[in-house]
Amino acid sequence: MTELYLDYNTIMHRLDARTKILIFILNFIAMVLFDHPLYLLPIISLILLQAALAKVWVNIWRIRFLLTVLIITGIFMWNIFASGATHLFWIFDLESLLYSICRTMLIVFMIFSGVILISTTRNEELVLGMIQLGLPYRVGFTISTSLRLVPTIANSIYTVSQAQRSRGLDLESGSIIEKIKKYIPLLIPVFISTIRNTNVFGMALESKGFGAKKDRTFYLNSVMKKLDYFIIIFGVIFVAVSIFLDIQGYGIIPGLSKF
Amino acid sequence: MTEYAVIINDLKYCYRGEKEFALDGISLKIPYGEFLVIMGASEAGKSTLSACINGLIPHYMKGKYKGEVIVLGQNIQETNVPAMAENVGIVFQDFEAQLFSTNVELEVAFGPENFAISREEIKKRIDENLEYVGLESFCNRSPFTLSGGQKQKLAIASVLAMCPKILVMDEPTTDLDPISKKGIFDITNKLRLRDDITLIVVEHETEEVLNADRIALIKDGKIFKIGPVRDIFQEVEMLEDLGVMPLGIPKFFKKIDPKPPFPLTIEEGIEKFKNLNLYVSETKYQDMLEQEEASNHAFDTPIIQCENLEYTYPNGVKALKGINLKINQGEMVAIIGQNASGKTTLAKHFNGLLEPTGGNVLVDNKSTKEQGIFKLGQKVGYVFQNPDHQIFSELVYDEVAFGLKLRGIPKEQIDERVSEALVAVGLSGFEKEDPFSLTKSGRQRVAVASILAIQPDVLILDEPTTGLDYQEQRSMMDMVKRLNEAGGTIIFITHHMWVVTEYAKKVFVLKDGQLLLQGNTRDVFSQEKTLEESFLRPPHFVQFSNCLGKTFLSPDEMILCLENGSKS
Repeated sequence: MTELYLDYNTIMHRLDARTKILIFILNFIAMVLFDHPLYLLPIISLILLQAALAKVWVNIWRIRFLLTVLIITGIFMWNIFASGATHLFWIFDLESLLYSICRTMLIVFMIFSGVILISTTRNEELVLGMIQLGLPYRVGFTISTSLRLVPTIANSIYTVSQAQRSRGLDLESGSIIEKIKKYIPLLIPVFISTIRNTNVFGMALESKGFGAKKDRTFYLNSVMKKLDYFIIIFGVIFVAVSIFLDIQGYGIIPGLSKF
Repeated sequence: MTEYAVIINDLKYCYRGEKEFALDGISLKIPYGEFLVIMGASEAGKSTLSACINGLIPHYMKGKYKGEVIVLGQNIQETNVPAMAENVGIVFQDFEAQLFSTNVELEVAFGPENFAISREEIKKRIDENLEYVGLESFCNRSPFTLSGGQKQKLAIASVLAMCPKILVMDEPTTDLDPISKKGIFDITNKLRLRDDITLIVVEHETEEVLNADRIALIKDGKIFKIGPVRDIFQEVEMLEDLGVMPLGIPKFFKKIDPKPPFPLTIEEGIEKFKNLNLYVSETKYQDMLEQEEASNHAFDTPIIQCENLEYTYPNGVKALKGINLKINQGEMVAIIGQNASGKTTLAKHFNGLLEPTGGNVLVDNKSTKEQGIFKLGQKVGYVFQNPDHQIFSELVYDEVAFGLKLRGIPKEQIDERVSEALVAVGLSGFEKEDPFSLTKSGRQRVAVASILAIQPDVLILDEPTTGLDYQEQRSMMDMVKRLNEAGGTIIFITHHMWVVTEYAKKVFVLKDGQLLLQGNTRDVFSQEKTLEESFLRPPHFVQFSNCLGKTFLSPDEMILCLENGSKS
C-alpha cells in the first residue's frame, strides 16, 4: 500500500492547509491567464521552487508516464484547436505550437501543483483546511476520501494484473482493440473489489458515528502563522499583477486563432 | 433498564435480492459484561447477526426485517447507526478497509471527533487506548505501514475510544498469524475482566476463545445451541458437523476413551494422560520416524531452487534477504511466517511474477529470468489468496477455460481439460453456473480449477483456507492432498497451523525475509521456541505432545504409538 502523502517536515509541510489550498488556486489563475509560454515562466519557476522545498520529486517520478503521455498528446492536440499565420508543417503553425506548449505547461504544472498539495498535506488537514475556507464538512470529507481511494485502487489493479498474468494474460502484445479487450479480465475484479472495499469503508464510517452530531471536534489544531500570511499576501499580489498584465494585453500570441 | 445488554426477539432478516432468510428466528439475551462467542459454518448467519447489534442491519443494509433487537433498552429499528456508535463499537475482519486516517493518532480520534468531544478529552482517550492495545509507540505512524495484527489492534483502539458499552468483533483474526491472533485475544481477555463492557465476537478459532463465557452455535440462521464454553467444547462431533473446528485435546481423548468429560486445555490433557497411565512407545515412535524418513527420500529431483535470492521492492523495501532453498518434485510443502514476513513475495518468484533483484531462482534447472511468466505459468500455477481478484467471467466454464484459450488450445481439448479440472475440485456439473453466485469456498475452487486446467507441474496456493469454515478447509486441503498424491508438487502459504501439521510434509519458516527454519514438518514443529520468534505457535495438540517429549502431528498418529501401563 503506497500513499501519496510524504511524511517529511519541510517548510511546505509546516504551512497551514488553507495556505496550501490557496497557493494551489492562485497557481492555477496565474497560469490560465496567458496564451504565451514565456509569460508562464515566472509562475512555473515558483512552482518548481515549491516542489523543491517540499521534496516531492519521488511522487513526480511516480507519475512520470502519465506526464510523458500528457506532454506528447498535449503538444500535438492543441494544434488541432488552434491555428496561426506562420505555417510550419502538417497541422503545426508557429503560433498554434506556442499555444500548445503553453496549454500543456498549464496541465503539467497544475498536476505538479496538485502533487505538491497532496504530498505535503495530510488528508485530515486538507479536510480541515477546506472546511475552514468555508466548505461543508461532508463535501471536504468526500473529496479527501476520493483521494484516499486512489492508492487503494492502484493496489488492487496491481494484484489483479498479477493474478491474471499468472494465468497467461499478456497485456503487452496485440493491436489496440485486442489490448482493450484484454483489460476486461482486469477491470471486472478491480471494480468488484473496489465496491466491496467501499462498502466496508462505509460501514466502518457509520459505525464510528460519522455524522452523528451536527457539530464535530477537529483534533488537529491548525493555526495560521506569520509565514502563512506572508505567502498568501505575496501570492495575491503576484496574481493581481498577472491579471493587470493580462488586461493590458500582455501574454497573447499575435496571429493566433482558437476554434 | 433490564439486566441484559442485548435482547433479540425472534429476529428474521433477508438480504435484499435474496430468497432465503439469512437469520431465521433468532432469540437471544446477552447479560451485561458477558463475553459471548458466535460460531458456525460459513454463511450460517454469524456476520449478519453481528451487524444487527449496532443497526447496520436494517439501516445500512436494507432487506426484509422481522422481530426486534433491543440494545441497552433501545429498539434498533428506531435509531440509526451513527447514533448507536457511542454505545456499540464494531470491528470488522477486513483491517485494510476499516482504517482511513493517515496516522494512528488521528484514526483513534475520528470516533470521538464525531461526537464533539473536547480536544483535551480526545487526547486523553488516544493515549489511554493506544496504551491499552500496546500501540503507544506508533502514535505518528501511518496505519498502512503497520502489520496486520497491529492494524487490527488499532481498529480496536479506535472503537474503544468512543467508550462503547458493547464491543462487537466480526472475525477479527481471520487474516492474522497465530501470535497476532493471540495478541488480539489477549486484549479481549483484558476487556472480559472489565464489567463495563459486553463482548460479542464472531470467531472460527476455538483455541483462542476458551476464556469466553458462552458460545452460541448458529446453523442456517437459527441458534443451534448456546451454552457455557466448557460444555460446548465437550461436544467434539457436534462441532465438526456444524463446521466448527473442535479443540485438539478433547478430540484426542475422545478417541482413546469416548466417555466425557474430556480435558480441554493442554495442562488438563497432560494430567489426564498421566492419570490414564498412558505412555508413548519408544519403538513404535522410532518406527514411525523411520518410515517417514524413507518416504521423504523418495523425492530427490529438484524442481524449484533458490540461490541466495534477494528481492527489493521498487520503493526500496528489502523483502527477501538471501534465501536458499530447494523444493523437490512431488513434495507437499508449506511456507509459513508472520504477516509481511515475505511469504507471498517468495512464492511469486516461483512462477516468475517477480524477478530476483539479487541471486537466482531456478525452475527445472533454468533461471526464471530466462523463462518469463507466460512460459513459466505453464509449469508453475499460482492460485491467489482472494479468488475475487481473478474471477471475471459469467460462467464457471469460461473462467476455467480462460488460461487455455489464451494459450491457443483447441476447443475439444479445452472442454476435456475444463471438466477434468472441475472434477478435481468437486465442481463437476457447475459449468453453466455464474461463479459470482457461489460461496467463497466455491469461488476458491473455481480459482483452483482455472489454474489446474493449465496442467502445471507445480501448484502454488496462497492461503487456500483463509475465510473458509472448518469443513470447507478440510475438504479444500483433502482435494489438494489428492492432487499431490497424483504426482503434483504443492506449495502452500497459510496461517492455519493445523493445516500445516496435518497436510505438509516439509515446512519453510520465514522471518523478516530470511529462512528461520526449514525441514520436515515434525522437526520444525518440535521447536516451539524458535517458531514463536516468527509469531507462530503449533496447534494445542502438537504442543501437548511436545510437552510429553514427542512431536505428534495428529491424534491418529499418536494413538498408533500409545501403550497402556507403566513404563517398567
